[in-house]
Amino acid sequence: MVYYLIICRSLTYAQRTAAVLERAGVSAHIMRSPRSLDAEGCSHAVKVAERNLSLALTLLSRENLSPRRVFIVSGDGTYDEVFL
Amino acid sequence: MIYLDCAATAMQKPPVVASRMAWAANHLASPGRGGHRPAMLAGEIAFQCRQTAAELFHVESPEQVVFTFNATHGLNIAIKTLVKPGMTVLISGYEHNAVTRPLNAIPGVHLKVAASPLFCPNLFLEDFERKCTDEVSVAVCTHVSNVFGYILPIREVADVCRRRGIPLIVDASQSAGCLPVHMDELDAAFVAMPGHKGLYGPQGTGLLLCGENAQPLLYGGTGSASRQQNMPEFLPDRLEAGTHNVPGIAGLLEGMRFVRSRGVDRILAHERALIKQLTAGLSDVPGVQIYADAGMHCQSGVCSLCCERMGCEELGEELGRRGIAVRAGLHCAPLAHQTAGTLLEGTVRVSVSAFNTKVEIKHFLGQLRTVLATRG
Repeated sequence: MVYYLIICRSLTYAQRTAAVLERAGVSAHIMRSPRSLDAEGCSHAVKVAERNLSLALTLLSRENLSPRRVFIVSGDGTYDEVFL
Repeated sequence: MIYLDCAATAMQKPPVVASRMAWAANHLASPGRGGHRPAMLAGEIAFQCRQTAAELFHVESPEQVVFTFNATHGLNIAIKTLVKPGMTVLISGYEHNAVTRPLNAIPGVHLKVAASPLFCPNLFLEDFERKCTDEVSVAVCTHVSNVFGYILPIREVADVCRRRGIPLIVDASQSAGCLPVHMDELDAAFVAMPGHKGLYGPQGTGLLLCGENAQPLLYGGTGSASRQQNMPEFLPDRLEAGTHNVPGIAGLLEGMRFVRSRGVDRILAHERALIKQLTAGLSDVPGVQIYADAGMHCQSGVCSLCCERMGCEELGEELGRRGIAVRAGLHCAPLAHQTAGTLLEGTVRVSVSAFNTKVEIKHFLGQLRTVLATRG
């Protein structure tokens, strides 16, 4: 399954991000960022389905919640950064 | 026990506060310190607490709500962020030691005190504005005096500070939960409050509402940006080193939910009605001086009294023996006593919460009369 990971600077930021998405009906799951995606060490990410990324970014932009980085996770588990 | 010391700690709380704390102690881990269920659930409770506080106090973002151990902790962060050695700081004449001691600890700080008689907000404001001169770098003002329940004109104080471009620190220790405290209207740099008074949370909890970034008081792990050896730049992590008081936060959340469901206005009206009953009941007792606003316009659920025939500590002791908890002395606020002219003897403070009743006040009045009658 392909999905996106929105990397956030802190748990609280990830929670705000997820709350905005969930309020708009976009399913969002908070998780710890995979180690390889996290240069600063320890952060949280919000997982959204492939089909929801565009809507999610629009919603977050409206709330001035800019993602630090976004990655696409392929079915084989590899990550590729999405440059916005 | 009739508990009338709510200005120190609101001991009677909604029962759900204790049950959620017990649940949290057994089911929640450390927020941000793991991806497992107990850690994530702890994070969720912490976020709900921040969100509830942000809504209650009109804070733009939950990230600006920082958990502290108490109001003193928050005030120390705020003061040490804004006040540097040699600065001039304007404070009210009703500040607690939680404000004056941290200021005194910074070398060369010059304090200007805006003082006026009790329950004269217009005179206070005039003095505050007069003393808010160019050399003032920071202002600190309590919203409500912890000794007298005197509500200071904080919105007007905030207006003066905004016009002069002076950052304002508000001590909301006695107002959070029983008076509107709106961060957006005050435009304050920081608002500090305890969790265990008007928010009905447990002791060891507090909130610092941040209008700007701050210097950490403690340094350590935050569960974020761990490779960096500096504290993160972003809130709330920057100010929250070490493991959170998760049971306390879970309890505080329920306390704030209680405040929201009961309503701040209703809580204030209830507390004022009890203080009004108290002052009316004492009006014909000879030798008792009560410090309260006759019109109740700038009076909260705290008031002070003193008796000619008995020292305040002695009276407090005697009431304690009779099952009534009040607080006597200087209430950690010698400046407030100095301003009000009660520094020599101190006062007996009676303070109520949403859980006190008219029957309790009636009983207190009866016991006070009996004690004083024995003194002839």
